[in-house]
Amino acid sequence: MSAEFAALILRHSVEHLTLVVVAMAIACVLAIPAGILLAWCRVRAIVSTVLGIVNVVQPIPSLALVALAGAVFLYLRENFGMALSTIGLLPGLIALVAYAVLPVLRNTFTGIRQVDPTVIEVARGMGMRSHQILLSVQLPLALPVIMAGVRIATVWTIGVAALAALIGTGGLGNLIFRGLSNYRVSLILAGAVPAAVMAVVFDLLLGLAEKWLTPRGMSRSVISR
Amino acid sequence: MIRMEGVSKSYDGGRTDAVCELTLEVRRGETLVLLGSSGCGKTTSLKMINRLVEPTGGRVLVDGTDVMETDPIALRRRIGYAVQHVGLFPHMTVAQNVSVVPGSLKKTRGDIDARVDLLLNMMGLEPSEFRGRYPSQLSGGQRQRVGVARSLAADPPIILMDEPFGALDPITREQLQGEFLELESEIQKTVVFVTHDVFEAVRMGDRIALLDEGKLQQLTTPAELVEHPANDFVERFLGQHRFQLSLLTRPVRSVMPEGDAGEAPASRPETFIPARGSLIEALDLFKKTGLATIPVYRRQEFLGHLRKKDLLTLIAQVLGETGSGGC
Repeated sequence: MSAEFAALILRHSVEHLTLVVVAMAIACVLAIPAGILLAWCRVRAIVSTVLGIVNVVQPIPSLALVALAGAVFLYLRENFGMALSTIGLLPGLIALVAYAVLPVLRNTFTGIRQVDPTVIEVARGMGMRSHQILLSVQLPLALPVIMAGVRIATVWTIGVAALAALIGTGGLGNLIFRGLSNYRVSLILAGAVPAAVMAVVFDLLLGLAEKWLTPRGMSRSVISR
Repeated sequence: MIRMEGVSKSYDGGRTDAVCELTLEVRRGETLVLLGSSGCGKTTSLKMINRLVEPTGGRVLVDGTDVMETDPIALRRRIGYAVQHVGLFPHMTVAQNVSVVPGSLKKTRGDIDARVDLLLNMMGLEPSEFRGRYPSQLSGGQRQRVGVARSLAADPPIILMDEPFGALDPITREQLQGEFLELESEIQKTVVFVTHDVFEAVRMGDRIALLDEGKLQQLTTPAELVEHPANDFVERFLGQHRFQLSLLTRPVRSVMPEGDAGEAPASRPETFIPARGSLIEALDLFKKTGLATIPVYRRQEFLGHLRKKDLLTLIAQVLGETGSGGC
């Protein structure tokens, strides 16, 4: 492998990684507070509407979502004369965030809602304020579930980011699609292998984080002792 | 201490009444038991005291102030709360669980640690062994003890207990009841205790409020409840247990010959019956020792001798009175 080729892989890997990390950061900042609010929300109609939207968007194939993001940008430019580029970072990033928000939001909601209501009532009964209950009871107990959502979202995002190369977002997908159209196996592998490794490594690391964030006293090793 | 004045709670915009115009008073230092079968409104009544449930009619007064005009957080911090499902925080150690409460009252670390150790000792849990354990590492009885310790953590004058021993096996349950009675006589709290078990009610309560369909049926001492049921419902509720309950609620004193206390022993012997003991306890003791008379004491004070013959006569008489319905 020439130094030039290695540099090419590295550059695209860094691009890919940056894309994933930025998208995940934005998704978490949006989805975790939103999930908490949703879990607190007493209005059933709002809760079921939001969850309904999540459940409808989730099964849309990632390729279609990426294409859709591009199409929306194209529509805005054609019809409203907005100075938007249909290719480039922004539409791809938006598609990634939109996709990553879903599992994080849903898991945050589920994680908080699944906390034993007796525990919450006792916490209220002994005079804890709502924010104290959230911070010292609900969130710690929901953390493993939230982390599981982040893990799923991250692994997906690594995959979707490869597709986002189609609308010019950059990353390892570039190498894959260039290799495919030029019949160059080495280029395909140069894109596919780092992307696969990245997904496996993140899955592993976030899995460890999940275990580490599971409150002691709730992990299996403690219970079985 | 606690007054409920015509308190009602209805759901579904008034269609379902959980509690209907309940009026009662809990006196300072007493243990009042709210007794009834499931769905009778006892838990709802209890939760209206610390405002976990807000009444739809009437007033609940704690220390003379309407709870609806009190800050619920401040109110709840003056009231201990222990429930059947314990509700220990699974992610916190025993010590953390107990100290969450005083922690929210801003005491120093040292104070809190000392308090935790004191409470654990009080509940028969060796602090060095149990402080660092998680709820998942405790038996049901131990969890329940931690739950009670936690309800006492901030040293509140009032404690609300919702079937705190309900989920335990009979032996552990009886043991914890006994321990709590002993503890209660030392710390002198005002306790409101919810149960569906009439034997537990008779054992724990200074007075019992029997509820049915959200309405108060009778509010009186255990002995009165058993001897003089106010209505058919009360009678049916006690049912075939009345004979046993009579033996539990009649104090030993009622069997002793009036006036003539007899010769007092030089000092309190090994075998004696406490004045507050029940006829069942006395009967047990006669059976165990084979004695014909046993001295009765109120603490160190000699009250007289109880004769086995008198006890048996009385028991036969109670059997006749209660008709031992259904037996």
